[in-house]
Amino acid sequence: MKWVAVVLVSLGGLIHAQFGFDGPLPPVPIPADNPQTDEKVRLGKQLYFDPRLSADNTISCATCHDPKTGWANHGKVDTGIGGRTGTRNSGTVLDSAYMEFQFWDGRAASLEEQALGPIHNPVEMGETLENVVAKLNGIPGYVEQFQCVFGTAVTADGIAKAIAAFERTIVTGPSPFDRYLAGEKDAISPAARSGADLFNGKAHCTSCHSGPLFSDQSFHNVGIGMDRPKPDLGREDATKNPADRGKFKTPGLRNVALTFPYLHDGSERTLRDVIELYDRGGIPNPNLDPLMVPLQLTASEKEDLVAFLESLTGVLPEVELPELPGGAQPVAGPKSPEGGER
Amino acid sequence: MNRRILLLAAFGLVAALVAFWSPPASGIPVFARKYGYNCTMCHSAFPRLNDFGARYRMNGYRLPGEEQKERTVLESPPPFAARVHAGFDYVNSERDPQGQDVTRFAVTGFDLLSAGLLGQHIGYLVVYPPSLPEARGIAGQQGSLEMANVVFSSLGTRWLNVRAGRFEPAYAVFSDKRRLTFTPYLPYEASFPGGPPLSETQEGIEITGYQFSGFSYAAGWINGSSTNRLSDFPEDLYARVAYVFGRGEGQTSGQRLGLTGIFGRARPQAGAADRQRHLRLGADASLNYRQLNLELQYFLSRDQGPLWGEGSEVTTSSGSAQLNYFPMTSLAAFARFGLLLTPEEIDSDAWQAVGGARYYFVDNLALHGEYAYRSQQLQGQELRAFEHFATLRLDWAF
Repeated sequence: MKWVAVVLVSLGGLIHAQFGFDGPLPPVPIPADNPQTDEKVRLGKQLYFDPRLSADNTISCATCHDPKTGWANHGKVDTGIGGRTGTRNSGTVLDSAYMEFQFWDGRAASLEEQALGPIHNPVEMGETLENVVAKLNGIPGYVEQFQCVFGTAVTADGIAKAIAAFERTIVTGPSPFDRYLAGEKDAISPAARSGADLFNGKAHCTSCHSGPLFSDQSFHNVGIGMDRPKPDLGREDATKNPADRGKFKTPGLRNVALTFPYLHDGSERTLRDVIELYDRGGIPNPNLDPLMVPLQLTASEKEDLVAFLESLTGVLPEVELPELPGGAQPVAGPKSPEGGER
Repeated sequence: MNRRILLLAAFGLVAALVAFWSPPASGIPVFARKYGYNCTMCHSAFPRLNDFGARYRMNGYRLPGEEQKERTVLESPPPFAARVHAGFDYVNSERDPQGQDVTRFAVTGFDLLSAGLLGQHIGYLVVYPPSLPEARGIAGQQGSLEMANVVFSSLGTRWLNVRAGRFEPAYAVFSDKRRLTFTPYLPYEASFPGGPPLSETQEGIEITGYQFSGFSYAAGWINGSSTNRLSDFPEDLYARVAYVFGRGEGQTSGQRLGLTGIFGRARPQAGAADRQRHLRLGADASLNYRQLNLELQYFLSRDQGPLWGEGSEVTTSSGSAQLNYFPMTSLAAFARFGLLLTPEEIDSDAWQAVGGARYYFVDNLALHGEYAYRSQQLQGQELRAFEHFATLRLDWAF
């Protein structure tokens, strides 16, 4: 199976060529106006798990981006305050520090910009930034930390920067596939090796899922939801360009096995379901990406692709729930159906 | 005969062992190398294109929808590649004065290839089989510029693309250069004496337009049947329309139907004063179901008699049906039947049956086994000539 190894090494060539192999990913890019400090990361972690950022003090960032579920959510779409539901599936925070665009439609260009979005989204945390700032300024523990980290009282800008700084620490370590590329021949199964070959060939995955994150950091219309009466316009909502209708960000595929369900609307439950969708060539619509063609994969080839995708699960960051200032309990994961234990 | 079968089996075993334990080919051909893709991105079984590859070619060697990200040849790895096939051939002809009896190991094909983008809308392709003298173990080939063309793609719209130079015209519906078999398509070989077989590349200009998974057209003006290509004014024209039903491009998915017409005027002999009309009309289909593909094509030709040395118009018909099966990425199997019917005065009916398989050790290295039988009526002779052809070859591109 030497030739398979060569194909896989070619696939990982970008990683090697650009970053060597100290790990699967390069150092996290840090914006000049938001340098990382331990204190800021600690503050950001508290804010990330703090439900007081929401209108009814029940929803935290970690409600939808739960460390226990791959820093995403196994619900089909977001569920926010009062059981309100959104229209899109929660993307994972894992390795999001490397993404050039945030949100499925890419409307946020940075983690800082993204961090505030859900707070004032009426179906997520449903709060106003003014209220959140006022609430946190009433909690001495937060006021003290903001003074220490930013030299100011609590501000929306500070909240965004602290949460973003914390999220930049949520980076995964090597996956079995990375170890395989590094020379550990038995790190992945023969099926996964075959799947990697398909991934970069017959299954056409790398035409979009390329590079160290397995994302081209671009937007594509694969037809999801475009057969509905009122489809989600995706990228068009952000750019107002009709050519972007139905396009959504190419998600990275590291740890993808953990972050079901899939696609921007959570409409596919399993990796196999997603592969079936692509095997059919997506869903026809006038703006369907011309890269999409039916694949004619066999059943065993689909299984091999699943095995390969499962081999992309890396070492996850270990994060303990923080102690929150003011005695509130950190919140992670969705409410139980009874609305009680999380 | 037993000795030949033993030789064939021994070669198969050795080829399989050598290929299995040998290092992989050190590179991948030019387009795959440019993008870092495996060959199977564009080929269902190299050299045959899949739907993605068909779109890439239609789009002027640019990834559809990704045109803005494309790199030219100056920004990409060196745009050179080669294809070689070598192996064991067995040819046995009976009662054919032009036939041959061959049992040998041979290098039977060597192509040098360069392709890429010269600019955002300008692609090119050059295929050059260098001249190889006949020698022990080498079948020999004439050096020629098999293809050298520039394609100006999407000139304001996908409905206007221009290819100029020497190229494979669109009337070769199932590309003779990318066919799975080593045995040529019988309908493409059929022509009036001295006329150009459809498998031959041509100098000229071709315009094309397309909609992915939909309607496409092509029209061209080529040297074609010019008897003296240096001085004869080209008078061969062709046009083709095709429509894909369903998803895909009819290569591995979707159902493609097409109509082709070729009209030309040729001299019966070099230097003859008058040109004579020849006309060919064709219909074709490429039908797909899961991993199965069925290629059907039919041509009806009506040529003025002098082109055949006859007084009155000569009508011939030819067709072929090929079933391809791709049960897995590493295996392709094929079976084809071809038929040529000629009028009584020409008396050159022929039929052909081909079967075989290709096993891919890697995307760009295949072990190819094929058997073909051809039976042909020889004009004025009572008994038919026939030919057995069997080959076991390694076919690789790098």
